[in-house]
Amino acid sequence: MEPLIGMGVLALMGAAATVAGASEDLESDVGSQSNPNSQVQLAPQMMYPHRIYNKAISGEPPSNALMCAIGGTTASVLMTAYSMSPLFAIAMGALFAAIVHGSYSISAFLGRPASQKRFKQPVYLDVLRSHTPVIMGYSYITTFCILVVSYLMIAVLGHPFPLPLLAFIWGITVGAIGSSTGDVHYGAEREFQNVEFGAGLNAANSGNIVRTAESGLRNGIDNSWFCAKFGGPVTGIAFGMTVFLSGWVTTVFNPAASLTMGWLSVVAGVILVLIMIIWNRKIEVAARAAFGPYKEDEVAA
Amino acid sequence: MIDVVSILSANILYVVLITLGGMLISLSVHFVPVGGAPAAMAQATGIGTGTVQLAAGAGLTGLVTAGAVMAVSDSLPLILAAGAVGAMIMMSVTMLVGAWVYTYGVGVPPASAKIKYDPITKDRQDLYVSQGTEGHGLPTVSYVSGVIGGLLGGIGGALVYYSLMSTSTGLTMTNLIGLASIFAVGIFFVNAVIPSYNIGGTIEGFHDPKFKKWPKAVFSSFIATFLSALVGVLAIGGL
Repeated sequence: MEPLIGMGVLALMGAAATVAGASEDLESDVGSQSNPNSQVQLAPQMMYPHRIYNKAISGEPPSNALMCAIGGTTASVLMTAYSMSPLFAIAMGALFAAIVHGSYSISAFLGRPASQKRFKQPVYLDVLRSHTPVIMGYSYITTFCILVVSYLMIAVLGHPFPLPLLAFIWGITVGAIGSSTGDVHYGAEREFQNVEFGAGLNAANSGNIVRTAESGLRNGIDNSWFCAKFGGPVTGIAFGMTVFLSGWVTTVFNPAASLTMGWLSVVAGVILVLIMIIWNRKIEVAARAAFGPYKEDEVAA
Repeated sequence: MIDVVSILSANILYVVLITLGGMLISLSVHFVPVGGAPAAMAQATGIGTGTVQLAAGAGLTGLVTAGAVMAVSDSLPLILAAGAVGAMIMMSVTMLVGAWVYTYGVGVPPASAKIKYDPITKDRQDLYVSQGTEGHGLPTVSYVSGVIGGLLGGIGGALVYYSLMSTSTGLTMTNLIGLASIFAVGIFFVNAVIPSYNIGGTIEGFHDPKFKKWPKAVFSSFIATFLSALVGVLAIGGL
């Protein structure tokens, strides 16, 4: 394969992965999945009933892996057994995945607030009706983009893994990245805008999530509006970078050419990692200089 | 009826390598700085997700790169290195973007509550921990620890995949790749779950006191992976 075509495909994969990462994070913000949901779940027990969609089907990685594996299996069957075009097969696969994810969301939403009846938490059916299609829409975009990435890896870059398995693995990875990066913006900032900016959640404030929105009462869609400004896009950058960089090292230094090229790809990868370690250190130093310590040094004072 | 003894005697090296890979994965999980649900509220140092989730995300990314390299090369060191690089890149990117969110989105500096001084940079930690939290973000020591975790996990996952792929079998290449990769993912998950009992939700990296408990998890992984390796090699070798 021409190196230039390889780079072009890689760029397309990176772009699709960026969209997948962003939509994955916003899906988990609308539906309040993943770790920040512990506060949404806790709030009614601390006497703060709310109108936020509450679904935690499972951790984000398994739930995205399920979506992507369903989509990948459907697309694979449509392509091999029915000779459908890849684009149609991937679109249908993503549709099935979105329907399955929607049904899980509904059962999770009906189950969770219903179990909190003793804490006077209502089950808002209008929230169910307005949020579930949004969740399904985001899950469709995520699955579609991940299937595009997986299909390109197999069809153009010649990856040996079968489509459903590759989609499954990227589903696990996008979920892991989404819950590690974008969800912190939702959990540490958006849920607790009522406390002073620039501190972690004090354990004493647990469950005291913000329940009023910019206008009216806050719901999951308000949360995704806020997180779409920072948490969602950076999650997209993270997943896009992972897909792009991990493929970039072997596309530029192709191990198929010679063993030396293979080792050069490893060296390139290690250099990238070292650059990121230094970058993180720079952020650490800059943040400490900008924000300053929270307490005085007792010995000095 | 498959001939268990001859399959095992022909592939005993691969059973040993798979077991070794599983033990490496188990050790690697202890290096990954995870803060669980509290870290998602900037309430604990580390990445705001579960142990298994992050280790699996990194290790499986390594498996994808190792699989890609194994399709074009048969050099074991190169395949292992490719797995390690894939996992390290995923881990570094995730931690770096996590640092962006903590710093620019939440406005907290990275700080550890378990140690007073960062062993690598010698920076003071306790003054930068905000009130009512167990630290937040990723200080350099946690970041480096996470990269080491990615390295070991990537090598472990690639070793398991390489061994399964090298088992003598009558399967066609397509079916062998499918079966070997699914077994590799399964063995990865087994060994990512076992250390989470040691970690109990949060660990900051190799400087965390909980890290000292790793021999117990690695020994448990030795037993669990040995049994998984027997099943994997027999299933692939018997077909």
